[in-house]
Amino acid sequence: MSELRRILHIEDDPSIQSVTKLALEAVGGFEVLSCSSGAEALREAPGFAPDFVLLDVMMPGMDGPETLARLRECLDLERIPVAFMTAKVQSSEIEHLRKLGARDVIIKPFDPMRLADQIRSIWNADRY
Amino acid sequence: MQPSRPEADADAQHRELSRLAALLRYEILDSAEDAAFDDFTQLASRLCDTPIALISLVDQRRQWFKSRVGLEVSETPRDISFCSHAIRDDAIFEVEDALADPRFRDNPLVLGEPHIRFYASTPLRTPDGYNLGTLCVIDRKPRRLSAEQRDTLARLGRQVMRLFEERLLTRRHAEQAALQQAILSSAATAVITTDVEGRLRSLNPTAERLLGHGSASVAGRPVCELLFDPATLARRAHMLTEEFGQPVQPGFEVLTLPLERGLPEMAQWRLRQRNGNEVPVLLHVMAVRDENERLHGYLLSAFDLADQEQLQLRLQQIAAQVPGMLYQFHWRPRGGGRFPYISEGVQDIYGLSPAQIGHDMRSVYKRVHPQDLPEVQRSLRHAARLLAPWQAEYRVNHPQRGLRWVEARATPLPQADGSVLWNGLITDITERKAEQLELEKQQEMNRRLLEALSEAVIACDAAGNLTVFNEKAKQWHGGDIAPMPPSEWARHYHLYLADGVTPMPAEQVPLRRALAGEHVGDLEMAILCDGTPRHVICNANPLHGSDGQPMGAVTVLYDITERKRIEQLQREFISTVSHELRTPLTSINGALTLICANVIGQVPEALRELLDIAQQNSQRLSALIDDLLDMDKLHAGKMRFDMRRQPLLPLLEQALRANGSYAERCAVQFRLLHCDPAWVEVDGMRLQQVLSNLLSNAAKFSPAGACVEIRAARQADGVRVSVEDHGPGIAENFRERVFQKFAQADSSDSRRQGGTGLGLAISKELVERMGGRIGFHSTPGEGACFWFELPLAEAPVAGGSDR
Repeated sequence: MSELRRILHIEDDPSIQSVTKLALEAVGGFEVLSCSSGAEALREAPGFAPDFVLLDVMMPGMDGPETLARLRECLDLERIPVAFMTAKVQSSEIEHLRKLGARDVIIKPFDPMRLADQIRSIWNADRY
Repeated sequence: MQPSRPEADADAQHRELSRLAALLRYEILDSAEDAAFDDFTQLASRLCDTPIALISLVDQRRQWFKSRVGLEVSETPRDISFCSHAIRDDAIFEVEDALADPRFRDNPLVLGEPHIRFYASTPLRTPDGYNLGTLCVIDRKPRRLSAEQRDTLARLGRQVMRLFEERLLTRRHAEQAALQQAILSSAATAVITTDVEGRLRSLNPTAERLLGHGSASVAGRPVCELLFDPATLARRAHMLTEEFGQPVQPGFEVLTLPLERGLPEMAQWRLRQRNGNEVPVLLHVMAVRDENERLHGYLLSAFDLADQEQLQLRLQQIAAQVPGMLYQFHWRPRGGGRFPYISEGVQDIYGLSPAQIGHDMRSVYKRVHPQDLPEVQRSLRHAARLLAPWQAEYRVNHPQRGLRWVEARATPLPQADGSVLWNGLITDITERKAEQLELEKQQEMNRRLLEALSEAVIACDAAGNLTVFNEKAKQWHGGDIAPMPPSEWARHYHLYLADGVTPMPAEQVPLRRALAGEHVGDLEMAILCDGTPRHVICNANPLHGSDGQPMGAVTVLYDITERKRIEQLQREFISTVSHELRTPLTSINGALTLICANVIGQVPEALRELLDIAQQNSQRLSALIDDLLDMDKLHAGKMRFDMRRQPLLPLLEQALRANGSYAERCAVQFRLLHCDPAWVEVDGMRLQQVLSNLLSNAAKFSPAGACVEIRAARQADGVRVSVEDHGPGIAENFRERVFQKFAQADSSDSRRQGGTGLGLAISKELVERMGGRIGFHSTPGEGACFWFELPLAEAPVAGGSDR
């Protein structure tokens, strides 16, 4: 795969879900599947076959890190980059998230006009 | 003649030596002629009817005639003398005819002049039994004495001996008298003798000089009338009346009665001189008694005290300079005491004159405060019993000055007669006492203050002994002062480092450091007494006396446990709140941004302005939350710095690019005017944060169309980056608060200029954490220049791929 088209977005907050989906579709021109929980994402992911996964950290029930671990079972995460999205900005936390296997961490609040570019640059960085 | 035995010879020889000594004792040999003795030789000659009569004394080599009748020579050799035979006998020695006597018939005195044929003598025998010589009668024809004549001769001999005795006694008396006279005449002490009734008998020359009276002219006059002041006598009489419990008349009795009571009478008096003046004397009265203890009169010796009085006058002058009163108190074992000397200061202490006190303690005791008097008397008795120095503090009711505190001290000087002379000083200590009371009050106040404090206060002396340990200190340390070396403090008082788990090393204990001269300020530490650490801020300082000498150290501990707990809560709150705020803010901000960017369609012009306002403020809110979190992280020490060595210029260029759009919006131009090549070791992201802050501030405060100038100049040991604007500058009254949290020049500013008020405070923290410093200079009305300096890092070896 050499093209970034489909993005799996997992976020429990419906407002952020909407804004993010709009920013990625309308500004970035991506195809976005939004899931409201880790469980939903695990169900939908194999069928959707995403090129990139954007994952919220703090979610009720299955949180971001756990979802990431479970996604490995159904997606080839060596090939598909994952980026966390979090409002926690402490460097120790960011470091921790990277260690879990995320390519990068996007800080909330994000600039919706630049979000597509950010994801694209992460995806590109991963290519080379 | 009996053959002589050696023992008898020795005896005789010894006896003869004793006899010669007795003869010499009478001092009569070779003395002048004395008619009294001639009477006896004349009488003897007539009664015995002989032409010659002699009083003959036999010494070692001759017989010497004290008196002689009918003989020219005054002495003859002993070996031919009849007397040397006669003195061996205690009875009458008679030779009826010398020519018929084998002992004398060849004697030159018999054969020649004076042709002795008859000799009779009676020995002159001393009361202790030595025959000094004889009273003898001599005739030139043989004969014998009648019994009557022998008896008469013996009686005459005894009379001669009595005359010898009398002469000796007279001589002795004369010598004694001469000696006495010489002593009296030359004595420095005036001696007055009186008869039993006190009538004057004599004055010695010193007494005559002292009193101006001739001894002869005043003989027979009553001594008291002549020499003593009646008032003084009356006073002394009154005193003795009390002392002895019997009436004493104010006359000569005053001087003699103490003697009768077996007390030595020695006292100071003033004797009246002939010219009416008085002279101070120390008068000693002695009774003159004969060998049968019969009273013959009195001897008054008066020691002139005028010189001493001069000295005393000087003493008084000196004493007048001494604050308080000097005194001598003479205490006698029979009770009773008096003051031989009191300085004028007694007026200040007791409100009494020395004369008013006289010899009576009562006037003094009356002035002592009734509550203090028993203790004063007790301590006096105690000191007197032990002959120990007396010291007492008591109150005196001074008639003019009111209630005064005095301190009395006296040292005992035991006298030969068993009395004790106390030399003392009494000083007024009212002021000192007041100060002392004030000090005590102050100390009590300090003590209460220490106990009331919410801080723990602990102090130690220069030797490291704990001296102050207030209530809070006891509470927090779970104990009180205990004797131990400072090295034990940390362990005994449960001292821990600020983390609350590491025991404090003994040498780090603040009080100990202060004791070594160090000032310890705002040190955070913990006391772990009952399982939960009590966090305290500690200040410790060395103490110095007014003379600069080290007096010890003091430490004050403030409990910050609660403050720390609140801070922790606050941090957690901020962290939670900011996170919880970010989530809705993400949606609001995102939605507004998308709308404003016409992502969902062209925004009608009517909505544009309001939407822009909403977007700007949501961004501002977002920035505020970021700043709050940064600040919190910095304070909690949780911000990590990824320090990397890198060239400065790219960092500046990046910052200029990142803030370029903001500058454009403000219609301001950034100009990098100068950049010395320099490497720094920084966290690039954090330095960007600082630069963004300075650049956006400069742009924000610049007038439209202005330039913001950026420079980077190397300095001696660092590089200074400055951002200079041409805005209004920093107002004088705001300069001090520029780097404080939430500081903004005017509360209206933040709204107009859109800042959080945390930017510069955060920048300062960031720069300092990266080893640099930050500052500014500004001329109001002309602009401001904010700068920071960073230490230079060593550039990598030249030729590297980096610039």
